[in-house]
Amino acid sequence: MNTQPVIQCENITHYYGNRLIYRDLNFEVQRGKILGLLGKNGTGKTTIINILNGFLKPRSGTCKLFGEKMDSISPKTRNRVGILLEGHVQHSYFNVEQIEKYYAGFFPQWDKNAYYNLIDKLHVTRKQKINTMSCGQRSQVALGLLFAQHPDILILDDFSMGLDPGYRRLFVEKIKEFAANDNKTVFLTSHIIQDMERLIDDCIILDYGKILLHEKTQHILNTFKRFTFKTNATNIPNSNILHNTEKLGDRWETYSFENINTVRDNFSKHNINVDNITEEKLSLEDAFIGLTGKY
Amino acid sequence: MYKAILYKEFIKTRAVIIILPTLFAAVAVFSFLQLFEEIRLAGKVSFLETVIQKDTAMFPYFKHLPTFAGVLLASVQYLPEIQYKRLKLTLHLPIKESKTIITMLLYGITIVVTLLLITIAALLIPLAKTFPAEIVNAQFMTLIPHFIAAPAAYLLTTWICIEPTWKFKIPGIIAATYALTFFTMTAKPGAYMPFVPYLIAFVVIAFCFPFLSVARFKEGIQ
Repeated sequence: MNTQPVIQCENITHYYGNRLIYRDLNFEVQRGKILGLLGKNGTGKTTIINILNGFLKPRSGTCKLFGEKMDSISPKTRNRVGILLEGHVQHSYFNVEQIEKYYAGFFPQWDKNAYYNLIDKLHVTRKQKINTMSCGQRSQVALGLLFAQHPDILILDDFSMGLDPGYRRLFVEKIKEFAANDNKTVFLTSHIIQDMERLIDDCIILDYGKILLHEKTQHILNTFKRFTFKTNATNIPNSNILHNTEKLGDRWETYSFENINTVRDNFSKHNINVDNITEEKLSLEDAFIGLTGKY
Repeated sequence: MYKAILYKEFIKTRAVIIILPTLFAAVAVFSFLQLFEEIRLAGKVSFLETVIQKDTAMFPYFKHLPTFAGVLLASVQYLPEIQYKRLKLTLHLPIKESKTIITMLLYGITIVVTLLLITIAALLIPLAKTFPAEIVNAQFMTLIPHFIAAPAAYLLTTWICIEPTWKFKIPGIIAATYALTFFTMTAKPGAYMPFVPYLIAFVVIAFCFPFLSVARFKEGIQ
């Protein structure tokens, strides 16, 4: 069995002008995984997707797709990679039928039914132009084209952009269905983290300039918690144990991967008296806020 | 795969493929009507004297029309690719990027050249029935640089459309406009002929320009 990672990014450093996007970014995506790249605006989520697909040359470092360097991806490998651009961008001057006919000419394993199964659920005619469709309908056209291509990996840039809850749910369900099939790999970004919770196996959280965390989603959900407490202290510094500690009204809150006893011990060690400390399980969105802060 | 690329280019340009020949045909008909009116008013001999002595161009409206055709076709073909960076979708196809771009360029060049050949034939064949070969030849030599401007304008417009930054687009527009003036200079019929190989050589070189823009686009230069 081939154990080579589907995606490998090694020591990626990139700047826009003088602004550092990341320094020495390293990560891998294994076959059969759904990996979500989470980050605030401007942390470089789309940038890494552009680098990965060979549409942006980083200052240094290399990304590989199926072992091929990003600036020389062969047509054979491109055949295995389905990409969704930010905003579900497509050749919108085509109509529903024309765009299917166009892409069918490139992919030997093209599955017309996979496309029309999705399209037939939309309230659109086959002659309807894509630029007259709603964002949700366009997302289904883009998804149908990707499924018909039968790629081994899907790279989705901000798939939830502009979608209402119904279409977001539909998109997530279809992606899950796709990934469950034949050990397919999915690498995606989204602003709407609550969608990711139901979808992704692994999670990379990007902060400005670096990866903050690369973990299994379930591990984050099981271990990362919010603690609220009262204290007379005026300042509680962040540490390796505590993340984004802040005062909210008369209570404080902090986030940690440690259990309540370790958190309490940490306060004692710094001579901080705390009362009424409570522990709370988090959604992925809350965990994201806990790790990256609100600002 | 090439068929699919050509299909996409056809869908983008089909309106222009109808508009341009219609426009060229209308201008050709108008030019002939004007020509025959002048012959009728002045008499054939007097008209011929004027044409020979003053080196009159019989089809002055075709001086800038081919350039316009090249610019229009390239704009219709490549602006949708640049809008929302759709070119990424095109370059992601499982075919060598250079082959994709060459196919797209050859599609445009073929349309422009076909239109020009048909126009030349439509202008000069009727002319040959009325005027001596020397005059027809002189008119051909007058038209030829203007017509070579069409593929040049097409390639230069493509180059500018795909170029990702305005910092390079603006000098590109200035340089292209200046270069195209060499194709539309007014001169005695035939005076341009020694210059025509250089104009053709320029078109051949200009074929490489869009590849520079594509390379810059792929590097993500902003």
